[in-house]
Amino acid sequence: MGRLRQKGKAGAAKAYVTRSAAVKKLQCSLADFRRLCILKGIYPREPRSRKKANKGSSAPTSFYYAKDIAYIAHEPVLKKLREHKAFAKKLSRALGRGEWTSAKALEENKPVYQLDHIIKERYPTFIDAVRDIDDALSMVFLFASLPSNARVSPSLVENCARLAAEWQLYIMHTKSLRKTFLSIKGVYYQAEVLDQVVTWLVPYQFTQSIPSDVDVRVMLTFLELYQTLLGFVLYKLYSNTGLVYPPPLDTRKDEGAAGVGAFQLQEASQMRPETSESGSKTVEVDGRKISSKSVRQAIKNIANADSTTAEIPADASVSGEQEDADEDFVPRPSKADNQVAQLPTLKSISILPTSLSTSLFSPYTFFISRETSRPIFEFLVRSFGGRIGWPASSGGGSPFEETDDSITHVIIDRPVVEKPNETPEERERRLRRKYVQPQWVVDCVNAGKILLEDLYAQGQTLPPHLSPFGEHEGAYDPVASAGDAMEVDDDSADESVEDAEETSPMAVPAVKAVNGDEAALRAAEIAAEAAGVDYATFNKELTRAKKRAGKEKAAADGEDRGEVDMNKMMMSNKQKKLYERMKHSQAKKATEKSKLEERKGQIGKEKKKRSREVDS
Amino acid sequence: MVGTKKRKQLADDAPPAHIAPTSTNGTATMDLPSDDEDDAAIPDDEDAPVEEFPELDDRSDDDEEDPESDDIEHATDSNEENELDEEEYQTTDSEGDDSIHPFPRAKTIVSDITGVPKRVYPEIEPDYDSDSSTEDAPNRVGNVPMHWYDDLPHVGYSIDGKKVLRPARGDELDRFLSTVEDPSAWTSAFDKTAQTDRPLTAEELDIIRRLHANEVTDANYDPYEPTVEWFTGKGKEEIMPLSAAPEPKRRWVPSKWEKKKVMKIVRLIRAGKIIPHKPKASSHLPQFHNIWSSTSDSSAIALIPAPKPPLPTNAESYNPPEEYLPTQAEREAWEALDPEDREKDYLPQKYSSLRLVPAYEQFIKQRFNRQLDIYLAPRIQRKKLNIDPETLIPKLPSPNSLRPFPLYRSLRTTYGKGKARCMSVSPDGGWVVCGYEDGVVRLWETGVGREVKRWSFGGEKVEAVEWCPRGDVSFFVVGVGQNIHFIVPPFLPPSTFTLTKTLLAPPTLPPAPAVPSPVKWVSKYKDSTSTVTSESTAPTGYDVSKPILTLELPPGSSAARQISWHRKGDYFASVSNQPGGSNQGALWIHQLSRRHSQAPFKTMKGSVQLVLFHPTKPHFFVATQRYIRIYNLAEQKLLKTLMPGIRWISSMDVHPLGDHLIVGGYDKKLCWFDLELSDKPYKILRYHTRAIRSLHFHPTYPLFASSSDDGSIQIFHARVYNDLMTDPLIVPLKILRGHDVTEGLGVLGVRWVRGLPWLVSAGADGTVAVWCN
Repeated sequence: MGRLRQKGKAGAAKAYVTRSAAVKKLQCSLADFRRLCILKGIYPREPRSRKKANKGSSAPTSFYYAKDIAYIAHEPVLKKLREHKAFAKKLSRALGRGEWTSAKALEENKPVYQLDHIIKERYPTFIDAVRDIDDALSMVFLFASLPSNARVSPSLVENCARLAAEWQLYIMHTKSLRKTFLSIKGVYYQAEVLDQVVTWLVPYQFTQSIPSDVDVRVMLTFLELYQTLLGFVLYKLYSNTGLVYPPPLDTRKDEGAAGVGAFQLQEASQMRPETSESGSKTVEVDGRKISSKSVRQAIKNIANADSTTAEIPADASVSGEQEDADEDFVPRPSKADNQVAQLPTLKSISILPTSLSTSLFSPYTFFISRETSRPIFEFLVRSFGGRIGWPASSGGGSPFEETDDSITHVIIDRPVVEKPNETPEERERRLRRKYVQPQWVVDCVNAGKILLEDLYAQGQTLPPHLSPFGEHEGAYDPVASAGDAMEVDDDSADESVEDAEETSPMAVPAVKAVNGDEAALRAAEIAAEAAGVDYATFNKELTRAKKRAGKEKAAADGEDRGEVDMNKMMMSNKQKKLYERMKHSQAKKATEKSKLEERKGQIGKEKKKRSREVDS
Repeated sequence: MVGTKKRKQLADDAPPAHIAPTSTNGTATMDLPSDDEDDAAIPDDEDAPVEEFPELDDRSDDDEEDPESDDIEHATDSNEENELDEEEYQTTDSEGDDSIHPFPRAKTIVSDITGVPKRVYPEIEPDYDSDSSTEDAPNRVGNVPMHWYDDLPHVGYSIDGKKVLRPARGDELDRFLSTVEDPSAWTSAFDKTAQTDRPLTAEELDIIRRLHANEVTDANYDPYEPTVEWFTGKGKEEIMPLSAAPEPKRRWVPSKWEKKKVMKIVRLIRAGKIIPHKPKASSHLPQFHNIWSSTSDSSAIALIPAPKPPLPTNAESYNPPEEYLPTQAEREAWEALDPEDREKDYLPQKYSSLRLVPAYEQFIKQRFNRQLDIYLAPRIQRKKLNIDPETLIPKLPSPNSLRPFPLYRSLRTTYGKGKARCMSVSPDGGWVVCGYEDGVVRLWETGVGREVKRWSFGGEKVEAVEWCPRGDVSFFVVGVGQNIHFIVPPFLPPSTFTLTKTLLAPPTLPPAPAVPSPVKWVSKYKDSTSTVTSESTAPTGYDVSKPILTLELPPGSSAARQISWHRKGDYFASVSNQPGGSNQGALWIHQLSRRHSQAPFKTMKGSVQLVLFHPTKPHFFVATQRYIRIYNLAEQKLLKTLMPGIRWISSMDVHPLGDHLIVGGYDKKLCWFDLELSDKPYKILRYHTRAIRSLHFHPTYPLFASSSDDGSIQIFHARVYNDLMTDPLIVPLKILRGHDVTEGLGVLGVRWVRGLPWLVSAGADGTVAVWCN
C-alpha cells in the first residue's frame, strides 16, 4: 500500500492560495497587497478546477500562485510598506501629543521605497521594457493633462508633463512616429522604437475630472511604477541616441507655455560607450546606427520594387468616381510635391523605407491657427520634419510669426469668413498659402505622402477619417466596398437586359478564365484584345461571367450543403460545439459587414436622390 | 535513644519484680518528659486508661524477666526498644488527639438508679473557643434564606432543637403606632433571624455614623499617629558604609565607548555621509541610470505580459464614414445595456471638424478599467484556433458513390382508420403485412400496393406482426391481445401450402411435453379437406380468414408486444406487457415443431422491452429499459451486459453478420455497439429530433434505417469490415420525409425488403409507404 495522501497537501490545493490567505501570509493590509501586486506585476491565476484549489469550496475568490506570493514575501518594498505603517503610527501619535519637532523629524525621515530593482526584475532586457510601455505612456499623458488637486499633487502632474514632453522630444528627434489617428477618445499615436511598435493615446486638451467610481489610489500606484519605468526607458533611449538625459528645461520658456519647446536636447559631448546593447543588434555605419530589422526591411523593399510597378495597371482601371473615394490607393501627382508620385499603393507604402515618409513635411512650413490644438500638430509636423509656428495665444516660443513668408500651409479649423477690409499684402499672402483643415496633416501622415489639399481646404466637407491600424481580416472596408456596392446596384438594374442579350463570343474564354487561374485570365484578355474588344466591354463581360459562375457554384453548394449537414451528425459533441461557436462568430462578423454595406448603399442612394433634386 | 538506653539499664538494674506502673513512670520522669506529661495528665483526669495502660508494661516487664543469655537479652532489648518506640508514638498520638479533640470526653459512671454504668458528658460552657456564636440568639437556623419559613408558623429552631415560633407581628397600623410610641424605634433594625425589630447598640450606631461620615469605622484607629523614627534622627545615623567596595573608576572618568560613538558620527558628518539637515525634495525623485547595463539574474518568475488593448477601428474615428453611425434604435439599445455588457465601449459619432470634438467623458474610467484588467484579471495563454470551421466536419464518402439506397416514395397505401402499428415483409419480399391499431391486419403486394386480404381481430390492437423467415413455408404470426395467431396467406403455391399446413396443423400432434406449459396451443383447423370445399380462395379448402393455429398466453398477461423469430423459423420469442411491470410470464420462447412454449428465465431484472435472436450463434439479446443482456441459450448463461446510456430503449437490431448491434432510445439517441469491442457504444448518434421508434438492418445491403417520431426516416450506409482493425463506416445517406406526425407519433416501423434496396415504413398517420431507389 502506498503512502496515505492527505487532502490539501499536494496539487492545486497547494499551488494556489486565495487572496485573503495571501494577505494573511504577507501580514499586510489589502491595500498594501494590491499595491505590491501592481508594482510587482503579480496577477491572479485561474486554476483548472476552482473547487480543487479552494479545498472543496466553490465560493467566488481570486487565486494567486503560492509561489508568486512566496516571491513577493521578501520584497524590499513590502518591508518599506511595513516601515511606513509604523511611521504613520508614530507620526499620528506625535501629532496627537503636539510634539511638533519630533513630528517634523519623523516626517523628514519618512520611509520611501525605490522601484529600480522592480523595473529591472520585471523587464530583464531593455526591449521588454519598450514592449510594455504603451500603458505607461497613456497614463503619463493623461496625468500630464489633469488638474492637480488634493489627491493628485502638482509635482506629480509636473513630472508627468515632463516625461510626456521628453518622450515626444525623443520621438521627434528620431522621427519614429508612424501612424496617427484622431478618434473620439483622443489621439492615437503609433511609433516604432527599437523595432517595437508603441501605441499610446493622448486625450484632447480639456480639463478632465476624475470620476467618483475610480479608485485614485490604484491609478497613482500604477503611475508611480510607470513614472519610474519611463524614466529609465527614456534615460536609456536618450543615451543610446547620444543625448543628455534629462534634457535641460528652460524655465523662462516653460513659463511662457512653450510646451515641448521648453526643453533643449543636448548632444552628449563625449559619447559614453554603452557596455552592451541588449536586445537589438545594431551596427554603426557612417555614424548611423542600423538595426538588423532595417536591413531586412531594405532587402524587402528592393524585392518589392518590381511587384509594385507591376501592380499599377491593375489598379488604373478603376473609374474616375471611385478615384476620389479611395484616395489612398491612387497615385495623384500633387502640384506641390513630386517626390511621392512613385508610391502607388497602400501596400507598398506600408513597407516603404522609413527615410522616405519621415521627412514628409520637410519642404513645408506650417502655421497653426489659434483654434487648432498646438500640442498635437506641433508634435506631428515636427516628427515628420516640417517647421511649424503658432500665434502667441497658443503659447510662447513660436519660431516665426504669422507674417513669415516661408509659411506654405496654414492649419485652420474655421469656416470661411469673408474679409472685407483686407490689405493687398494680406490678400497676396492668403493666396500664396494653402489653408487646410487639421485632418489633412493626419491623413498625409497615415498615407505616407502629401495628399491633395483641395479636399481638405478650409470650409470643405471632409472625407471620412479612417483608422490607419486597419480592421480585422475580412471586415467591412469602407474604401474597397465603395465601388462594389455601386456595381451590384447597377448590375441588378440591367440584369434582365443582359440576360436577354446573347452572350458575346469572347465571354466564353472569360468564363473559363473566371474559373481558372491568373494565366487563363491573361490569355483571355489577350484574346479579347486580338478580337478588337475594348477593355471596358471585356471587363463588363468578365464580371457578368463571374456572376454567372458564382450562381452556378451557389446552386451546387446548395446541393452540397445537404450532404455536409448530414455529415455533421457524425461529429462528436465537442467538435459540434466548437463548430457552432465558430460559425456563430463568423455569422456575426458577416452580418456586421453586410449591415454596413447595406447602410452604405442606402446612404449613397439618398445622396444621389438629393443631388438630383437639387439639380432639377 | 539516650533516654531509652538509660531506662533499659535502669530496668536491668531494677529487681525483677512487679513494679507498679506509677513507680516506673516516676523513675522515668526525668528522662522521658513526654511520657511524664502524658502519664501525669491521664491519672489526673481518668482512671480507666491508667488501669489499662500498665498491663502493656507488665507484659514487657515479663519479657524482660527471663534473662537466659546475653544474646537473648540483647534480642529482648531490641524488642523492648521497638516497643518503647511504639509507645512513644502512641502517646504522642493520643496527646495530639487530646488537644485537637473538639468534643468533651464522656465519663462512665454507674447510675444510682439502675446500677448500670453510663456515659455522662460534661456540661457545655460556651466561650469564645466554641463554634457557637456568643449571642444567645434563640433561632439557630444559621445563614439560610428566611423565606423558607414564610409559610410556617415557626422561624427556625433553638439550640435544643425546639421550634422557635414566629413572633407576633402587628399590622401596618401597629407598626406605625410602635414607631410613634417607642422612642427607640428609629434606632432599631429588623432582625431577620428573629423576625423582629431589635434596637441597635451604641457601638453599632457609632459605626453607622462613621460610615455615613465616610470615616474609618474603628473608633480607636488613629490615622495621624506620629512617625516612629527607628533609623534616622539624632543619634541614630549610620556611621559606617554598608559596603566596603571602593568607588569605581567609571564614576569619574569620561566614557570611552560614548566617545567612540560620537566620533563615528562626527567622522561621518565630516565625510559628508550624514547631512544634518539635508533638503528632502531632491531625494524623492528617482535617480535614473542605465539599469540594463548588466545582465540580470533569472531569479524573477516568468509572468505573462499583459495583452495590448485592441487598436481603434474606423468606427472610433472622429469623422467616420456615415455607415458606421448608429441608428436611433441601435443607440437606444446601446444605452439600455449595462456598461459591462456592451460590445463596444463607445458609440460612433461624427464631427464635421476637429475643433468640435469634445472631451471624452469615459477617458479616465476606461483607463482605470484597463488597469483593473492588468492587475485583477487572470491571464491565460490560449491557442487561437485559426481554422476553417468546415474542416471540422468529417470527410465522408459522398452518398452518390454509395448507391443504391431508397430515394423516393414509390407507393403509399392508406387505411384511414387507425395507426399502422406494425408491419412485416415476407422473406421473399413480395408481400407486406401490416397491423393496425383497430385490430385489422392487411396483406398487400409490395410491388403494386394492392390489398389482397384483410383480417380483423375484433377491435383489439394488433401489436406485432411477423413473417416466419423460412423460405419453404409461408405464414406469419400476429400478436393480438393475449393470443398469437398463425395465419397462412392466400395464393400460395400448392407445395408451399401443403408444407405450411403440415407444419402448422400436422395430422399427428407431437407428444405433449413432460411439464405442461401454461401457454396453450389451440388448433382451429378442422380437417376440412373432405368436408369444406367452399368459397374460400385457398387451394385446399382451408378458410384463410381464420388463423390456422392460435397460441393462448396464460390468462392475466397482456398483448404480445413484440415477436421475434429465430432465423431457422422453428423458434420465436414473444414479449408481452405485464401488469405492474413484473416479468413473470412476459417473455416466452415458443417452439413450433414441438408445440411447446417455455419461459427462458425464472426471474429477470428490469422490465423486458425487446428480445432478439442472434443471426448465427445461439445467443439471445434481451433489452430492458436501460441495459441489453446477451445470453447464451445453449450454455444457459449471461454473456455480456451492454450499457448504451439510453434512458429508455425503444428499438434494437442486430447486424446480419452478428457482430454489431444498434440500439435506439426514446431519448433520441442511437448507439452502435461493436460486440467484439466493448460493452459501451462505439458511436452515439443524435440526429433525430424526437424519439427513435424503429431500426432495421438491411439483410443483404450495407444499409440501415431508423425512424422517429419526428416523421422522418434516416438511411445510413453501414459497412462492416471483417478485419478487426478497421472501424465500421457509417455514412448518413438520406433523410426520407413523407409521413405526418399524428398525436406526437411519427413513423412507427421500418423494414427492408430482402434483396432490394427498398424500404417499407408504417406511419402513425395510417399510411404504409414503400421507398425505392
